[in-house]
Amino acid sequence: MKALVYSDNVSVLQESLTYIRKMMDADGVTEAEGAGDVLNYGAGKIYSLKGDSFYDNISSAIRQIYENGSYDFIFLGSTTLGREIAGSLSASLGLQPMTELISFEPKDGKAVTRRFAHGGKTVVEEESGAKVLTLMPGIADPEPAEGASATEEVQLGDSKLSLVERIEKQATAVNLEKAEVIVCVGRGLGKKEGISEVEPLVKAVKGELAGSRPVCLDYQWLTEDRQVGLSGKKVKPKIYIALGVSGQIQHIAGMRDSKTVIAVNKDKDAPIFEEADYGIVGDLYQIVPKLVQALQS
Amino acid sequence: MPYNIAVLIKQIPDIDQMKTDQNTGEPMTQNLPLRIENLSKNAIEAAVQLKEKNGGKVTGLIFGTDRSNAAMKEAYAMGVDEGFVITGYQDNSPALTAKVLAGKLKGMEHDMVILGNQSADTYTGLLPGMLSSLLGEPLIGNAISVEPADGQVKVTRVLEDHNVILSSKLPAIISVAQEINEPRLPPVLQIMAAGRKPINSEQAGINEESGVKVLSDRAPKSDRKREVYEDPEKGIPEVVKAIKEVIR
Ligand SMILES: Cc1cc2nc3c(=O)[nH]c(=O)nc-3n(C[C@H](O)[C@H](O)[C@H](O)COP(=O)(O)OP(=O)(O)OC[C@H]3O[C@@H](n4cnc5c(N)ncnc54)[C@H](O)[C@@H]3O)c2cc1C
Ligand SMILES: Nc1ncnc2c1ncn2[C@@H]1O[C@H](COP(=O)(O)O)[C@@H](O)[C@H]1O
Repeated sequence: MKALVYSDNVSVLQESLTYIRKMMDADGVTEAEGAGDVLNYGAGKIYSLKGDSFYDNISSAIRQIYENGSYDFIFLGSTTLGREIAGSLSASLGLQPMTELISFEPKDGKAVTRRFAHGGKTVVEEESGAKVLTLMPGIADPEPAEGASATEEVQLGDSKLSLVERIEKQATAVNLEKAEVIVCVGRGLGKKEGISEVEPLVKAVKGELAGSRPVCLDYQWLTEDRQVGLSGKKVKPKIYIALGVSGQIQHIAGMRDSKTVIAVNKDKDAPIFEEADYGIVGDLYQIVPKLVQALQS
Repeated sequence: MPYNIAVLIKQIPDIDQMKTDQNTGEPMTQNLPLRIENLSKNAIEAAVQLKEKNGGKVTGLIFGTDRSNAAMKEAYAMGVDEGFVITGYQDNSPALTAKVLAGKLKGMEHDMVILGNQSADTYTGLLPGMLSSLLGEPLIGNAISVEPADGQVKVTRVLEDHNVILSSKLPAIISVAQEINEPRLPPVLQIMAAGRKPINSEQAGINEESGVKVLSDRAPKSDRKREVYEDPEKGIPEVVKAIKEVIR
């Protein structure tokens, strides 16, 4: 069996190759800038895509590599771009898709896969004839393999899109994935200025500050690299303190592996309490100073 | 310049109200109310805002069931002008959904097709790419701003670690991110008027099996302690004790 594996994100490609090479041979595909960083993850060959890349010309390039080789599966890292390419490829090649996978196993030519369903409330295990599959970031810890992959350059064709401008995002030097203690604020914070009232607690627990999606994306009270959840960072600290976070399933998907979860919410029926070891019902602006005081004494 | 905009609307069971069985962990989907999927609402709002600004017409498409008229009425109340409910929807088959919707869109004049980037119940996120292949139209995905002008459209697109502004010719497919807007809550008068507006219904011409076999479907096990204190004076010492066990 052989797989063709693509991601626009170098670490997702490293993870995916680490995961897949244990089951079958694999070749990798990525943009030229990242190709040098994936040469020792067990791929037979790395195709390096040259030129301005968009979902459509990347899809055409992968399609050509697929048709010229003999691959059983195409795996794509589940990023925004990866899912677009998955849709485009599966429709143009007439291959069955399966996306956002947290596990994959080949079985008699079929795919046995697991993914979140019902808005993330359940995990569904399915058997299908899927050939185009997207793997969730974090599917494996990247491990280099012995030997280096051969490389081949592929010139990208024209796209129907053109790039007007690239806008870098403001990022900080935070590494939430490695943090031992995380204090996460939700929409319940109410205002950006509230951050300064939470900071003493972050200090007292020697933690990192994180936020729910509305806090990081809609309101930009925190930078986007501090978002925890399905579409943000997947974290596993020893202690996760959620302040004014309701606990929607997309948030839980990012912090489920935390060791101890503490929640403060003024609504005693908030779903976050179902996912917490310790919960305090109350206004975070009253509870936080008391917590800081008790921690210091 | 006025635009013809098609908006794709998915109707889903209200997953926020869904519970899982205490013993088996299986989803309890019976008698769940139906509603419009989250990102579809953002798509409707984006389409209606474009119409309000430039003129034109917004046509809603639902590939659903004979229970989908309620969702289309809600879409009317939000500003959708005409709606088609196509019946024959099957769970678990994005390929079928894409073929049915692409078939309908091919016979419909449109400058833009607007849809959600990833639906909130299944997260498949396949439809944008599939439709672009099937229709041969460019896709600009995960948009937070959409500006059409002179036969072109300029879109700000959100990626994981940077954003880009892309442009393409019309007609184009645009998938939207949740952050693009705050969907409106229509006033009662509009809801009542929407109830009287006719909805076109038709049956899907294609019917194919997804070939997906569900082996199991269960809530992931969570063994949290769930010690919740309504009296902070009791809760704070417990929380502090737990924290101090980890950091000294
Ligand atoms: C495809 C998709 C992906 C998503 N990905 C993510 C993701 O990665 N991360 C994420 O977080 N979300 C994600 N979401 C969004 C998610 O569905 C929720 O909308 C979001 O998590 C809610 O954020 P919140 O808990 O901060 O806000 P809310 O749900 O508004 O909750 C605020 C809470 O604060 C409480 N509160 C209010 N005031 C106070 C106070 N003074 N003191 C104490 N408590 C107070 C309220 O009782 C409430 O429970 C995603 C959604 C979709 C559709
Ligand atoms: N059955 C459907 N009928 C109409 N639109 C749909 C349907 N399913 C999905 N969509 C649209 O496609 C978007 C992305 O869905 P998906 O690709 O299933 O994650 C949704 O936000 C909707 O706008």
